[in-house]
Amino acid sequence: MYEDDEPQLFSERPEWKDVTPVYQYENVNPLAPILYSDEYKDATDYLRGVLKTGEKSERVLTLTESVIRLNPAHYTAWQCRYETLIAIGASLEAELRLMDPIAIKHLKNYQVWHHRRLLLTRLGPSAARPELSFLAKSLKVDTKNYHTWSYRQWLLAFFNDEDLWADELDFIEAMIVDDVRNNSAWHHRFFVVWASGVHEGENDRDRVLRREITFTKQNISLAPNNPSAWNYLRGMLEYNKIPFSNFRRFAEPYTQRSVAEDADVVDLENPPPTSQAQLPCPLAIEFLADIYEADGEIPKATELWKSLGDEHDTIRKRRYWEHRVREAAV
Amino acid sequence: MSFYTPVDGFPTSTSNTQRETENVLARHQPPTTPTPAAHNILHKQKHMQYLVRNLVQGFPERYQSQDASQPWLMFWTLQAFSILQVGLDPGNRQRAISTILAWQHPKGGFGGGPGQAAHLLTTYASVCALAIAGKPGPGGGWDEIDRKKLYEFYMSLKQPDGSFTVSHHAEVDVRGIYCLLVVATLLDIMTPELVAGTADFLRSCQTYEGGFASASQPYFGADGKLLSTRPPLGEAHGGYTFCALASWVLLRPYAEPNAPDINHKNLLRWLVQMQGGRSELGGFKGRTNKLVDGCYSWWVGGAFALFSALEPAAHLPNPHAPPQHHEDDPDTNANWDDVDEGLYDREALQEYVLWAGQHSSGGLRDKPPKGADAYHTQYVLAGLSSAQHRIVPDASRRAELEAAWADAPSEAQNTTEGPAWLDRLRPERKRVFIDALSWWEDKTAAKVLGGPGNTVNASHPLFDLTITHAEGIMGHFYGQTIPVKGA
Ligand SMILES: [Zn+2]
Repeated sequence: MYEDDEPQLFSERPEWKDVTPVYQYENVNPLAPILYSDEYKDATDYLRGVLKTGEKSERVLTLTESVIRLNPAHYTAWQCRYETLIAIGASLEAELRLMDPIAIKHLKNYQVWHHRRLLLTRLGPSAARPELSFLAKSLKVDTKNYHTWSYRQWLLAFFNDEDLWADELDFIEAMIVDDVRNNSAWHHRFFVVWASGVHEGENDRDRVLRREITFTKQNISLAPNNPSAWNYLRGMLEYNKIPFSNFRRFAEPYTQRSVAEDADVVDLENPPPTSQAQLPCPLAIEFLADIYEADGEIPKATELWKSLGDEHDTIRKRRYWEHRVREAAV
Repeated sequence: MSFYTPVDGFPTSTSNTQRETENVLARHQPPTTPTPAAHNILHKQKHMQYLVRNLVQGFPERYQSQDASQPWLMFWTLQAFSILQVGLDPGNRQRAISTILAWQHPKGGFGGGPGQAAHLLTTYASVCALAIAGKPGPGGGWDEIDRKKLYEFYMSLKQPDGSFTVSHHAEVDVRGIYCLLVVATLLDIMTPELVAGTADFLRSCQTYEGGFASASQPYFGADGKLLSTRPPLGEAHGGYTFCALASWVLLRPYAEPNAPDINHKNLLRWLVQMQGGRSELGGFKGRTNKLVDGCYSWWVGGAFALFSALEPAAHLPNPHAPPQHHEDDPDTNANWDDVDEGLYDREALQEYVLWAGQHSSGGLRDKPPKGADAYHTQYVLAGLSSAQHRIVPDASRRAELEAAWADAPSEAQNTTEGPAWLDRLRPERKRVFIDALSWWEDKTAAKVLGGPGNTVNASHPLFDLTITHAEGIMGHFYGQTIPVKGA
């Protein structure tokens, strides 16, 4: 389509003469109607027309593409398009390439991603690797896009091919280096390392655990007030049934008001907060309080919860910290 | 403690957008404390005009992108009216009913508009809109819902892992399950067959952070059986967490006595972590390290009420613990009783809604400087409502419903064949009905920031309908007379 071209209505196209458009509200004067553009009204009138006759043809692909470009959330148009692609045996590779720019343009849309999923399911594992590269590109545009991340996770788990999992850790590492606070990347790490089963090269679980602990501690030391990293640490420890108290030495410096004098004494196991860290870190205080609670040192835990409620985390969760004090007292 | 979220001398794109947002929100903090009264006003009239404009004149062309969500536009508008304590005049009410019925699909369920495919989400929105605008009898909408076909439509979407796709050839996610379970509860078509495996699916969506993801991926063994590896797809998210938790609560009547539970402790921790600090005006965010947004006032703020159904005693102070006093705390408003605060800061959330959530020309929003829209207008108001009112499973209401329950209404008493939902002797029916309607307001725990003029109607924590509307439609479909409270 050229820029100076007026969009041509389906009702004006000779090749659509045989289709009877179906208007949206025939016998109803609708409340709260949408004030559509003429172009949209025309395209959807014809969509309802072909839905009624059940036509599956090349021109239905043209029509559904028009509707989708005007409104990518029109799930019925997507449904009709998918059924038509299958019915007429259209090239699904070509369809995937046609969809690339549409997906990038409408990243927050459910249907563009699900349509890809339907296509990939049919195209099989050979299409999965190029898809990972496409997703990497798309995640550069929107680094926390929920659909893109969950689709990536689906792709990995669905094909569950060791080749596909192989580069995932490097990919995540790059995302976290780029933004250590990107929680989607942290979640993806948990998905790959822990939640989706044991992948090739990851059979030595103790080694994996040590690697993950080192990785997480280093990232906490870089930016201590980062809930994504602390949540990953907590999640990983709970998943592996490791007591938090193994991390007391690590957590304590983050609960102090300033970086300790001997911070230049290098403890490789327990990287300290940087000189620019804003201490004390409420997430570390919470973590330490959990250690005290688990170890039965309730008065010490209570003291920390009160310090959170009264000073370090007042508006946010005062009621929650009181709740923790009450619960521990039972 | 710094006013801003700490950056630790290590800025990244997340902390940069966070700081930009905090700078915008800083301009919405009232100038002095105590807050001048003029800042604490809910502009009901303006919001009403905004809603009326959409309803009568129609939605402007930019809403074309929501052409497949027409039932949502209707539901958001009608429910926002309900929360603002306004009903429709009979003429518009009838128009609403006819409009909604035009979305019913000949093969069951409701679509996003006339001629559109049926979809779980638009079915929820249509049925809830009918709960508000409809009534029994011919042309009233309720009896025109084809429940038999709806049930068949639901069963056709069921997946081997207990989940449902939202429509044919469409995605699986917990929003769809929530929407299905609400409708099945309201219309009395819940059956063991329908919900088999669904609770396990929901449980598999809880992430290591404590909140819930959109879905999980099943793995199957060689024998075709589900394996225990069921990783969540996507991170913990406010909208999905609300839907999963509400679904979990709705499924309690079908729970096996010793079935594994969801992790309450992590869930509560995640929920409270979503509330922003002073620099974020106490609003809620939907994911870790994301920005606050007014609609999470409902999705996350509203989830606290659901949590109280899991742990009935969680919101009550432990009588053995020493009382907590905050007399020296400047944040404590003397009028605010410390006895039943709930688990998050309800006052702060109301501040976010009043100071940042309202658009000056009517309607409510995500955050400044964004415009208002139909979705945020409803969910921000619903969130405000849940911060004002404490609705909990109430033992005395439960007793009243138990006493008034009439077993097996005569018209269906002898049904022994046909689809399971027709079997009115299902023992779970009574429990579904009573569990759903025993939610009641604890009036002693109401907190309205800015004075009584700001009071809005309470919304049912499971359905996002007023209690009256939920009672009306459920009483009809279960063939029960709703007892008057305290009568
Ligand atoms: Zn929002």
